[in-house]
Amino acid sequence: MSFRARLIVIFTVAIVAAIAVVDLLVLGSTRQAFERSEEQRANALVLQFRKEFDRRRAELVRTVNAIAASDATRNIAIQPDASPYFDYAAPQAATHDLQMLELVSPDGAIVSSAQWPARFGYKEDWLTTGEDWQARGAFLRREELPDGMTLALTAVSTASEGDRRLYVVGGRELDREFLSTLVLPQGMRVLLYRNLDGRFTPGDLIDSAGPAGNAAQLRPFIELVQAERREHSRMIGTGAAAENFHAVPLPALDGTVLGVLLIASSRAELAALESSLLRTGVIVAAAGILLGIALSWWAAARVTRPVRRLAHSAGLVAAGDWNATVEVSSDDEIGQLARAFNRMTGELTAQRERLIQAERVAAWRELARRLAHELKNPLFPLQITVENMLRARECYPDQFDEVFREGASTLLAELAQLKLIVGRFSDFARMPAPEIQNVEFNNLVAETLRLFTPQMEQAQVQLVTRLDPAVRSMPVDPEGMTRVLRNLVLNAVDAMPAGGTLTVTTAAQPDGVRLEIADTGQGLTPEECARLFTPYYTTKSHGTGLGLAIVQSVVSDHGGRISVESDKGRGSTFRIELSAARPQG
Amino acid sequence: MAKSRTVALLALLLAATAGAATRPQYGGTLRVETRQNAQTPDPPPLLGPGFQITRWEAGKLAVYEADENAAGGRPFLNTVEIQLGRTLRDQASDLDLGKADVVESGPNDVRRPVAGRKTWSSLPVRVLALVCSPRLEDPRIREALALAVDRAAIHRVLLQRQGEVSGALLPQWLSGYAFLFPAAADLGRARQLSPGARPITLGVADPAARPIAERIAVDARAAGLAVSVTAQPETADVVLLELRIASPEPAKALTQLAAALNTPAPARIDSPEQAYAAERALLDTFRVIPLAHLPDVYGVAPRVQGGPGITPSGEWRFENLWLEGVRP
Repeated sequence: MSFRARLIVIFTVAIVAAIAVVDLLVLGSTRQAFERSEEQRANALVLQFRKEFDRRRAELVRTVNAIAASDATRNIAIQPDASPYFDYAAPQAATHDLQMLELVSPDGAIVSSAQWPARFGYKEDWLTTGEDWQARGAFLRREELPDGMTLALTAVSTASEGDRRLYVVGGRELDREFLSTLVLPQGMRVLLYRNLDGRFTPGDLIDSAGPAGNAAQLRPFIELVQAERREHSRMIGTGAAAENFHAVPLPALDGTVLGVLLIASSRAELAALESSLLRTGVIVAAAGILLGIALSWWAAARVTRPVRRLAHSAGLVAAGDWNATVEVSSDDEIGQLARAFNRMTGELTAQRERLIQAERVAAWRELARRLAHELKNPLFPLQITVENMLRARECYPDQFDEVFREGASTLLAELAQLKLIVGRFSDFARMPAPEIQNVEFNNLVAETLRLFTPQMEQAQVQLVTRLDPAVRSMPVDPEGMTRVLRNLVLNAVDAMPAGGTLTVTTAAQPDGVRLEIADTGQGLTPEECARLFTPYYTTKSHGTGLGLAIVQSVVSDHGGRISVESDKGRGSTFRIELSAARPQG
Repeated sequence: MAKSRTVALLALLLAATAGAATRPQYGGTLRVETRQNAQTPDPPPLLGPGFQITRWEAGKLAVYEADENAAGGRPFLNTVEIQLGRTLRDQASDLDLGKADVVESGPNDVRRPVAGRKTWSSLPVRVLALVCSPRLEDPRIREALALAVDRAAIHRVLLQRQGEVSGALLPQWLSGYAFLFPAAADLGRARQLSPGARPITLGVADPAARPIAERIAVDARAAGLAVSVTAQPETADVVLLELRIASPEPAKALTQLAAALNTPAPARIDSPEQAYAAERALLDTFRVIPLAHLPDVYGVAPRVQGGPGITPSGEWRFENLWLEGVRP
């Protein structure tokens, strides 16, 4: 991945992460604000319910007291036989908007019942326990009706006339009508669980429209409130259907929880808000990401442009263009880096020039040393021969002719040697341009090796050839390549003075051919390997040091590559890799 | 002297006025209303000698006119109009508004006496009973129901002590042995018999009798029986019925009741013991559960004179009635 791409990814990730964090923070704070608002609304509704409940209790007490204080009721109280008044309660209840009204004699027998007219004569023993009903006020009570139990807000008063008494028991049902009178904010609803028979019955959970639908879901929560007899809050349901429930226990006289008021606040609004925020967040995030990518693209381009210029210049330097420089367009770190780079390339150029100069001097010195060494050897016999000839001319005139002939012969031989040495140097200086033509490479190798067969037999070198038949014809200069092979074979034979094995291998490559010439000679040290292709460097006592330099020059002219592997004492392997593509002239 | 003449004249005037007030008057139309809803082509029973029917609209209206040639003499009334199918509430309302002269009275009317209004009452001639349909097969459940009903409470409150509580079909005044049939509730025994009972429907056609049915349902509930009241007696398991004792002779009355209840007719009855045995046989299965015997009670407008217009057995006798303040 490029530096620019990496920068873009980093910028983009940073932007996405920032947007995600902001989105989450917004969502979280929104949720908290909503929760607070919901809690406040639920508390307000609980307060409203309590006020309404207290108001209704007080109103019920007033109503029942009014019925008890009426002349008609007091008249019934003094009757020795109240049976003619068995249907008194129903119209009174209707008049006073009570769902329940009973007149009960001091012994607890029902005289008249509005909610269950046929129950006259039955006992209401709970009334005769000595409780001070006037002080008690209204309370919750389970009331049995012809069609089942119900939960009622009940008040008891006493109609007294002299020593005669009559209990007046009035009540209003806590039912869906009661719930429908509670004013609710939008998104809230009130449910009432009526504990009518001591065990959970789904039908006893009602709302203002009738039986509530999610009774089973609420059961554990209701049972918890019943068991602990205190208010609880809980979220029930999932997603948009979830609701926050606040439960208020409604106890009876004995503390039993006869009812549980459930104030439900829908979370649909929050879910919609969250969904909207999420949607907006996604849109903003997408836009932000796109914008971020564009900005990061632009920023990365700005940031990486000098870096890319640096990289390009470094590449040029690596490719040999030591004059490559970078434009310095800023004073920041990148500018400092560019300046440092320019300084570095300048230093490198200067150093290289100094090095070239030094190498050139060294080469001249080496050349002079070689020349001196090579020329000194034939010059010394020349000097001795000329001195012998002069001495013979002066001291042994009779033998002068013979000495002269021998001397002339020697002089000619040494002059020929000098000519040969000068010719070699001349050849290296004047390497001919390669004449490339398609040649069957294996044939070229085999023909060349054949020339050395007698020499190798004499030197007790065994030749092993492994020529890959897949090697096709190659575009090479036959003369140059023959010279390469000749030099390498002669070097190998020279490396095995006591005999050995010379292995010549060709192998087809996807894009050319590989030639390996391996000997089992004394091998080379790493230092020798490193300097092997340097002109005039030789490990042999009689070499000019130009053979491998010529080999490298020819291989290079063919666009190929030459390398050597060697272990001291185990022999050396020269490897030449040539491309099938025609070398550029 | 003058003073004594004045007193004598005043005495004569008072005597004449008093005679006019108490002397029967001819003419007028007596308006009678009844719950009876006779849909048959035959008109309701005659009103006694001296009247003949002149108009009959089945289930609605019967008009009788005085027979000028009656053997016992012409009745005082010219016409008697009988409206049929009137509820007790409507009848009471019509009597209050002066639209009717003679109406049937329910217990509510009895406990609300109105000044000047007269009441005619017969002996207990109707039996109020629960009749079980064949669908209620288990005799234990029928017995539980019989034991659950608090007849005394019904009699005291709902019937306002009209008639008498009874566990027998025939009233005490007629048979003399009615007290031998137990009428007291026994909730404990009823609860022992009720387990396993299915819900029971109690049918009552007469809205006036519905409170009694409701009370029976309450009592049954206390005994562990689930009884619901319905206004469709034809589909109910038990029906609350009111049957008239049609004859002052126990044997005939029992036979007629058995026929009305669709139970086997009793064997020949020649003695009170046989009558008792026959009635016991009728009631032992608890297919019929007598609750009370009720009199016929009528509320009568103050202008109706010469009554009572019913016999002790509840039959109408209008030939001696006249209307005060009518012109001949």
